[in-house]
Amino acid sequence: MLSNRLIRKLDFTLIAAVVGIVVVSLIIIGSATHINTPSDERYWFVQRQGIFAIVNCALVFFMLHFDYKILQRYGNALYIFNLVMLVAVMVLGQSALGAQRWIQIGPITLQPSEFSKIIMIISLATMLDKRMGKLNTFKDLLPVAAYVALPFLLVMKQPDLGTALVFMAIFFGMIFAAGVNLRLLMIIFGTGLACMPVFWHFLKDYQKMRIMVFMDPNVDPLGSGYHIIQSKIAIGSGMLFGKGLFGGTQSQLNFLPENHTDFIFAVIGEELGFIGATFVLILYFIMLYRGTKIANEARDNFGALLAVGITSMLTFHVLVNVGMTAGIMPVTGIPLPLMSYGVSSLTTNLVAAGILLNIYMRRQKIMF
Amino acid sequence: MASTSHVTIRKRLAVVLIIVILIMGALSCRLGYLQLYQSHWLSENAIDQRIRNIPVEARRGNIYDRKGQKLAVSISIESVYAIPAEIRDVETTAANLAAILDLDKNKLLDKLKKRQAFTWIARKVTTEQAEGVRKVDLAGIGLTEEGERYYPQDNVAAHVLGFTGLDSQGLDGVELTFDQYLRGNKGSIVIEYDAKGREIPYAVHRYLAPEVGNDVYLTLDIVIQQIVERELDKVMQETKAKGASIIAMDPYTGEILALANRPDYNPNHFAEYEPKNWRNAAISNAFEPGSTFKILTTTAALGEKIVSLNERFFDSGAIEVQGRTIHCWKHGGHGSETFKEVVENSCNTGFVTVGLRLGAENFYKYLHAFGLGETTGIDLPGEAKGIMIKESKVTPINLATMAMGQSIAVTPIQLIDAVCAVINGGEHIKPQIVREIKNKDGAMVKSFAKEGLGQVISNEVSVEVKEVLESVVANGTGKNAAIEGYRIGGKTGTAQKVGAGGYMPGKYIASFIGFAPADKPQIVFLVAIDEPEGIYYGGQIAAPVFKNVMQDVLPYIKN
Repeated sequence: MLSNRLIRKLDFTLIAAVVGIVVVSLIIIGSATHINTPSDERYWFVQRQGIFAIVNCALVFFMLHFDYKILQRYGNALYIFNLVMLVAVMVLGQSALGAQRWIQIGPITLQPSEFSKIIMIISLATMLDKRMGKLNTFKDLLPVAAYVALPFLLVMKQPDLGTALVFMAIFFGMIFAAGVNLRLLMIIFGTGLACMPVFWHFLKDYQKMRIMVFMDPNVDPLGSGYHIIQSKIAIGSGMLFGKGLFGGTQSQLNFLPENHTDFIFAVIGEELGFIGATFVLILYFIMLYRGTKIANEARDNFGALLAVGITSMLTFHVLVNVGMTAGIMPVTGIPLPLMSYGVSSLTTNLVAAGILLNIYMRRQKIMF
Repeated sequence: MASTSHVTIRKRLAVVLIIVILIMGALSCRLGYLQLYQSHWLSENAIDQRIRNIPVEARRGNIYDRKGQKLAVSISIESVYAIPAEIRDVETTAANLAAILDLDKNKLLDKLKKRQAFTWIARKVTTEQAEGVRKVDLAGIGLTEEGERYYPQDNVAAHVLGFTGLDSQGLDGVELTFDQYLRGNKGSIVIEYDAKGREIPYAVHRYLAPEVGNDVYLTLDIVIQQIVERELDKVMQETKAKGASIIAMDPYTGEILALANRPDYNPNHFAEYEPKNWRNAAISNAFEPGSTFKILTTTAALGEKIVSLNERFFDSGAIEVQGRTIHCWKHGGHGSETFKEVVENSCNTGFVTVGLRLGAENFYKYLHAFGLGETTGIDLPGEAKGIMIKESKVTPINLATMAMGQSIAVTPIQLIDAVCAVINGGEHIKPQIVREIKNKDGAMVKSFAKEGLGQVISNEVSVEVKEVLESVVANGTGKNAAIEGYRIGGKTGTAQKVGAGGYMPGKYIASFIGFAPADKPQIVFLVAIDEPEGIYYGGQIAAPVFKNVMQDVLPYIKN
């Protein structure tokens, strides 16, 4: 069992925020999947998400017994595992919505790209730990970039642009914290922007369309623009106080697609209003704030890098997902952490939160 | 842990936190913009998407005569509509409907494929067709009740009643002017739909019941109206006239008891008639009244006391005004006569003398008080206001001819309304066509009381004029209107029609205005016959029509 000393050092604020988000998530998934209309399967989504939440919490608690330091030992092994898993998806994976992203294992459909995010953070932290403050030249950075590029390209190949972008966010967040030379970073960004038109050609048609409708959803209001328009209508019509739980006409009447997964935030906006949506954003902010604080108080660079990686990942997810439902980000299949329905995503994010707790629990009081 | 890199990492973590704060702030602002600033517009969008209305027409109120006889009723008839989103198989649906309703299948297909919430397939179908549609029971196709107007008396009082269009909206007559009372309020079935156009089983289905329209009770008396219609048909046949009108009015209340014109139409099939048949000549056609107008000249002269009934006039057969010679209708003139005889004889030169004596100012004072130059305000569409020379521009010759009913154009309704004021004791009243409006339970919604517009002459003058008009029928030009055993008052009129470039040869309007009983009139009639063939004198063709009508009406109103 954990010693009382360690339990007292748990980050209860972070726990409260995570539990809060998961509870809201279960309620909203219930609403979005019509739990109040009689049917045989009405409890299916909530039950599943709820069971996985409990199982994962137990898993996280179990993991707290081990010092996160042991992750560093498996960093490279995990990296290999990650590559194998991503290749497996391409070979064995099931196609849905134009992309190969899922592997069926018994009754559970896994989305390996979700897990690969946290694995990516762990292996990158392992690698960067030895290079702290030594990322000053292009040559210094090249191995790190290559290290990330391999899984990145595999994910792109699925194609899963969303996860690939999350990898980018993790990469930049972590090298930034690892003390990359700022001028070097600027040059990379500059070149990246300049290469945008080239990059455009590598996008699939549906991806191009998503970006075009993001610029103007009315280009194709019943096709690609439909999601954005319906989502904006849902959020906007919620007004200050919302239409009440189960009262969201946009989501309850299925005008809003994917309303329990990627577009769940629109349901929150519609049914709980500006007040509810802002409350949820505040929960996320608490979580992200604790993430940076934990990075700051970590006892070693590895812990700090892990925490920064996790914070970068979560921040990017929240930004892109909420931004997408509110019509200021293009549509990419990025779920809202701990909120969207999906066991792979839920597991990944709870494990990530568990790692944050682990780092904080084993922090060192720094004496000045 | 190396202290140098630790300082760097702390700085950089601060930057990370700032970025997080900025991102969360930006997201909150965006939410605020959508939910607080743009929310109204977006909410309306949300409602538009999911609510569909199926109109349920209100039954239109009935129109009755003053005694409660049905003149216009609504019968219920079914219409077929489609909700395209609910249709499962467009092809078979279209084929089925085309067969039952005898429609073009391809046109129907186009209609059903259009992205719209609601569309009519066929309005007002037969009972068999409705039954057929009900039997095949196609998804997305429904029947709703609509009202169809039916006029049980066909042509009777067509110009007063008017008619309605396909949407049961009033298009003419009382149907138009009282449309807001008659039409009631449309109801609807409100159905909430989901994104795929499926009716939501547990959603609110509201049935907003339509409000039945109110019933309108006219001032018309169907018995008098039918007598009038009968006589019009007869005179049209006898004289081969272009048109004819009769108005009957209660001189004390202003209520129109009958109003009919020829040519007419059957409002049940109004579209099969030429639009000119729809024209309500009795209120829309202005004409030079001729001698019937002399009633007003007489009234003004007696009212101003510029002449007395016994004053003697001499008619040489012609009189010169401003260098123009005006002839009396009787060749050689009437010789010496009293003013009473001037009226009896309808002597032109006598009226010219009186008109000039009155002067423009006095004469116009009366014309305005009688309501000439303006519409009477009767609640029927298309009323004309006639033509009157401006007082400031009137010359003696105008005045002389106006005194005998020329150089002025009035509508039949204006003329009879003015005569009402003359014989009812002097009060100008507004003509009424509707007595009351009741709701479906019989409760009064609105009733129309007599609307007085001011005293024109004293009762004494009114009595004097009635006496003179009685002797016109007893001794003068109106002999053909006399009825044994009744005291009748009246005045004939024969006016040559004015066209482009002056009077039109051979085209006359023969008229007669009469009332009974002469001392206390209960009813006044105006008969006008437009372009009769052959004999065209009012006394010869209009007076007998009046007599025929009055003969039947008097025993009826006595009861």
